[in-house]
Amino acid sequence: MVLAPSRVEVLSLFRSLLRTASKFADYNIREYAKRRTIDGFRDNRGLSDPSSVALAFADGKSQFEVVKRQVTVYSLYAPKVKSVMEVTSL
Amino acid sequence: MATLSAAFASWKPAASFINQTKGLTYRAKVASIGTSRLNFPSSRSSRLHIRCAAKPEIVNKVLEIVKRQLALSNETSLAPESKFSEIGADSLDTVEIVMCLEEEFSISIDEDNSQNINTIQDAADLIDQLVQQKTEVA
Repeated sequence: MVLAPSRVEVLSLFRSLLRTASKFADYNIREYAKRRTIDGFRDNRGLSDPSSVALAFADGKSQFEVVKRQVTVYSLYAPKVKSVMEVTSL
Repeated sequence: MATLSAAFASWKPAASFINQTKGLTYRAKVASIGTSRLNFPSSRSSRLHIRCAAKPEIVNKVLEIVKRQLALSNETSLAPESKFSEIGADSLDTVEIVMCLEEEFSISIDEDNSQNINTIQDAADLIDQLVQQKTEVA
């Protein structure tokens, strides 16, 4: 009997992933992380089997650990020059 | 009561009146009456807050962001009272929209508050409250 995560837990993981991903200093990595979480959660939206839901949730949690770690590591080597996409005014 | 209606009738002099009594700046739509001058024995706090609905600019910005996120055409008119589920946004969309709003207004919405956001008006009110808190602290 696999314990599937509740709706609230899944949404909480989604929110935590987005919030942590927005802390990346590098524009490219930040946008990719946000895009990937949105796509990943949307693709797995239709899952009904509890074991596959639990698997996807565990996968998301491990990725969240990676993101948390990498935010701190990347901030040590933040680029001095911002990407051109972040320039709001010339 | 007379001072209250006068404050609502003309904003500019009312704003300077408020500045003199309390030394705090309030933007439009929030009036504060200094009880030291008016002698209200019934009020517990020293300020009486009259909070109207969120300002129309905030509501408009929220509507714009919601339309962009859900890829709705510009002709669809959204009522601020419409729930997110009614306009075709599922829970993932709602979380995304809340993130966009956090980014746009540079505020931080915590978990409990984000669970209570069901309509566009809720979001606008919460944003209004948080932005005011931010300007009060600063």
